[in-house]
Amino acid sequence: MSHRPPAPLTGLVAAFLADDGTADWARNVPRRLETLLGTMPAPARAAVRGAAAVIDAYAVARTGGRLSGLGPAQREDVMASLVSRRALLPFLDAVKVPLLLAAGTERIPHQGAAPARPAPDDPPLDCTPSGQWPTRSTADAVVIGSGAGGAMAARTLARAGLRVVVLEEGEHHSTASFARRAPLDRFGDLYRDGGATIAVGSPPLVVPVGRAVGGTTVVNSGTCYRTPDDVLARWSRRHGFAAAEGFEADLDEVERTLRVAPQPLDVLGGNGLLALAGAQHLGWAAAPLNRNAPGCAGSCQCVVGCPTGAKQSVQLSVLPQACAAGARIVTSARVRRILTDPDRPGGARAAGVLVRRPDGSELEILSPLVVVAAGALQTPPLLRRSGLGGHPRLGRNLSVHPAISVAGRFSRPVTSWKGVLQSVGVEHLRTDGILIEATAAPPGMSSFVLPGVGRELRRELEGADRLATIGAMIADRPSGRVHGRDRTLIRYDLAPRDARRLLRAQRAIGALLFAAGAEEVLTGVPHAPRARTPAQLEELLDGVTAGRLHVSAFHPTGTAAAGADPELSPADPDGHLRGARGVLIADGSVLPSCPEVNPQLSIMAAALAITRRFVAKAS
Amino acid sequence: MTRRGTVFEETMLGRVRLVAEDRDRPLRLDLRARADRVLLPHRTTRARLTGRVRIAGRADDPEAVGELEISPLARRRIRYRITFTLEGRRLTLDGWKSVSPRHPLASMTVLPYTLYEDGERVGDGTLRFPLVTGLLPFLTSFRFPPAAVPAADRDTASRWDGKPGRTEVWYTTLTDQATGSGVWLHHEVVAPTDGSGAYAHGWVAVFPKDGPVEHARFGPFPWEAAPQGFAAEGIRALPGRLTGSAEPFSWALTEEPDGPPLHTFPGWSWRRPWLPASQMLPAARARYSGTVRYGTGELRLDGAPGASARIYGHGNARRWAWLHADLGGGDILEIIAAVSMRRGLDRLPPLVFLRLHRDGRTWPRRVERSAVGWAGVGRFRADIRLPEWRVEGRAGRRRIRVTVTQPPHRTLALGYTDPDGSAAVCRNSETADAVVSLERWWGRWRPEAAWRLSGTAHAEVGER
Repeated sequence: MSHRPPAPLTGLVAAFLADDGTADWARNVPRRLETLLGTMPAPARAAVRGAAAVIDAYAVARTGGRLSGLGPAQREDVMASLVSRRALLPFLDAVKVPLLLAAGTERIPHQGAAPARPAPDDPPLDCTPSGQWPTRSTADAVVIGSGAGGAMAARTLARAGLRVVVLEEGEHHSTASFARRAPLDRFGDLYRDGGATIAVGSPPLVVPVGRAVGGTTVVNSGTCYRTPDDVLARWSRRHGFAAAEGFEADLDEVERTLRVAPQPLDVLGGNGLLALAGAQHLGWAAAPLNRNAPGCAGSCQCVVGCPTGAKQSVQLSVLPQACAAGARIVTSARVRRILTDPDRPGGARAAGVLVRRPDGSELEILSPLVVVAAGALQTPPLLRRSGLGGHPRLGRNLSVHPAISVAGRFSRPVTSWKGVLQSVGVEHLRTDGILIEATAAPPGMSSFVLPGVGRELRRELEGADRLATIGAMIADRPSGRVHGRDRTLIRYDLAPRDARRLLRAQRAIGALLFAAGAEEVLTGVPHAPRARTPAQLEELLDGVTAGRLHVSAFHPTGTAAAGADPELSPADPDGHLRGARGVLIADGSVLPSCPEVNPQLSIMAAALAITRRFVAKAS
Repeated sequence: MTRRGTVFEETMLGRVRLVAEDRDRPLRLDLRARADRVLLPHRTTRARLTGRVRIAGRADDPEAVGELEISPLARRRIRYRITFTLEGRRLTLDGWKSVSPRHPLASMTVLPYTLYEDGERVGDGTLRFPLVTGLLPFLTSFRFPPAAVPAADRDTASRWDGKPGRTEVWYTTLTDQATGSGVWLHHEVVAPTDGSGAYAHGWVAVFPKDGPVEHARFGPFPWEAAPQGFAAEGIRALPGRLTGSAEPFSWALTEEPDGPPLHTFPGWSWRRPWLPASQMLPAARARYSGTVRYGTGELRLDGAPGASARIYGHGNARRWAWLHADLGGGDILEIIAAVSMRRGLDRLPPLVFLRLHRDGRTWPRRVERSAVGWAGVGRFRADIRLPEWRVEGRAGRRRIRVTVTQPPHRTLALGYTDPDGSAAVCRNSETADAVVSLERWWGRWRPEAAWRLSGTAHAEVGER
């Protein structure tokens, strides 16, 4: 059945993209946008639809006709009138994000339809959909979440001889399924809230989090940084995180498992090569990143699942090993509560989990050990609705690695979506808490938002192949907090120091792009979108505050931090949740503070250390 | 107060889908649950299940057994685990009602379950309690009889509350009927009077029928409370399990209680530690299976008779003697005769605590009777020396005479240190001889029973 998107959406797309009916690709964008909205949480969906309705109403008021009924010139006139109100710019930018996603997908036909080589078979996993899992069952250990932490915990416990069940809210996606489908089609399935998880605050942040067997490791960039020594020393000495002792060996083990190696230059892509060139010109330390993607083909689709199976996400590396040791994975299983026995001698003790299936029915698994690895944004609400959220610091201490993205326009094609998605690390400012990483993305999926609306935006889209995008993330103060029991509500207010760091990062990336030969730098700031010279960029940024930046965040950590001080840390130095026995925290939430680099290795090593210590003590 | 248990009957109906089949079959459970305590909804009560499991066309096992965990409020769970036979296969039904305050009726009557065979899932289904036809029989089936066997586990738990000047002992004596050898395991925690850290120590000894006694001590180790019993440095005396090693010994035994608890001292003195010490047996008899390896040999035990006992108090007596005699046929004689260290009491003759558990009854009926008689009149008497010691006394219309012989070559002397630092020496024998004669007054004293134990009595004599 063919379904027509509502008129306001069609009009919105036509106005934003200056669709004059000449381009075939633009015709399908409204339908693509409609599908995309369907995967988003209701508030985000309502906001976009509402914005479309409001803009449509404005068009009616101004011209007497709806956007979809207007001619290209009249639509351009309406949009120009909107853009002239500077206060509306951030609002228009927010509407642009889903629209660009849909447009990007339609404009560049995805290359997966006829893959150069067939997708390899994935190592076998023992996955059972929750609908086929018995309503009552038992296990020696239940691991909630199959991401970086959960997978490592499951492997360690299964290898110790425990009967392990891993519960995953998302579904299992094979490499073949990634190769078969367009990036945007995968996007909605692989991300929680359709990738539109928002942290409210100043400025609001988008925090995309993966939801699938493999967790966020399915959709991360594959960048593997070891936890820096100064961070480890702080965890060990200041926070008393006992698992941090011997962390080097755990990191080695994780690196071996994920087959981490420096990214070879052959498939690095134009984006990375430009970053290297710019850094060399400036004399900054830069190198291809260490990644867990041996044989990477440079598909630039890490964020929607690697279509060639090169990226060793945990569902291709750790979870098959866990399953070989006897672990079983239940998919489409949302854990409602951790069950507790409050009358056990010595105090409350975890007894198992209550799981909701997609059809609303419930199943229970009894287990004396529950490992919570639901991610830093889901672990606190889960503990709260289980009656285990009594610690006053649970949900606080949230660090997110706020990140910005800046693009440079070059005279020759860069085609940033061919090559490695996150390819080069520039560590010149690492000690100042700023890590610059050359990061491209499939069209429309970059956290960089093209400037302008209407014809201007259309021009930018047409010339997108000449853009290189470079991102930077900063080591932030724990300025966030995760509220909520049933739904997660994230509050994050950028600390003044971190705001300064972001602005400094913005200037540094600008300098890097100009050094690489960029003709123009696109800042991503709606009020000050472009600079053609370094001096102009400096001048432009002098008037910009962090509140105007388009900030994303990718690495939430620390919301159930482990540490020696019972008043400050919801988990004890060994990762046991305080206040109940039999609950281990083994995900990003257990990290005592911001890891300052991409956290996959840190989370996996922490999960390994915590569960290994548990096994050693139990035996 | 008599401890009471709970008995009730429950019927549940439902369906089962076996893995190998493509259709559901009706399933019916008729269960009888027995708990050792009164069923109260706010706490967790465990009960044993017996009953009948019927799967239409496949199984009808009238001798199904299992267990039930009833905790509708605390854990919000009523869990059934029932093992039954299906065409020669042993299957276990494991399921629980998950009590929800939002759906009290449905959640208390619906029992989803899974069937297992050797840990592998072989089926699942749902059972329902038929409210209309089942509620009245269910409610009227409730009975609260005196508890048959109180939980022995509770009496194994550590009593020490952290006070200095206390000693606590778990000791096990048993006889391997195949070889005539005796085994003695002694686990002790001493909390010195001076407040220094408590420590655990003990010893293990094998008394071969004819050969010399072999033994090894273990500890002292710093003591960390083990809620279920004794556990230090891999040596454990926990409910149902005794394991450990002390060069050249190593042992791994299971203990199967066989009989009610036996308080050699008044029961109140175990609950309220007002006497210098109190001794009791969590189960009057027990059976032991497993292996004991020692320097020159190995004992493989299969249901060897013996008993474990507990002592909690301030330290050893000034002088004491102890006997545990398995008289056969479930009859047990337990004697402690002791002179206290307390000033005043130390001038008294030995107080005799004698418990003869015979034909399901214990004589004398009052524990205090043998020790203090009627204000001292008619108390039992003991003559403690070595190699032979005697106890005799009369209560009601019965009198008893016990003679215990501990030949020196079958006796092991070991030194003890009290919490206050004073020393005592205990001479133990697992292969002692005992002669017990019981007479009853019927116009004159007539022999009622006599037992002669040759090398199977467990005895000790301690002195300063």
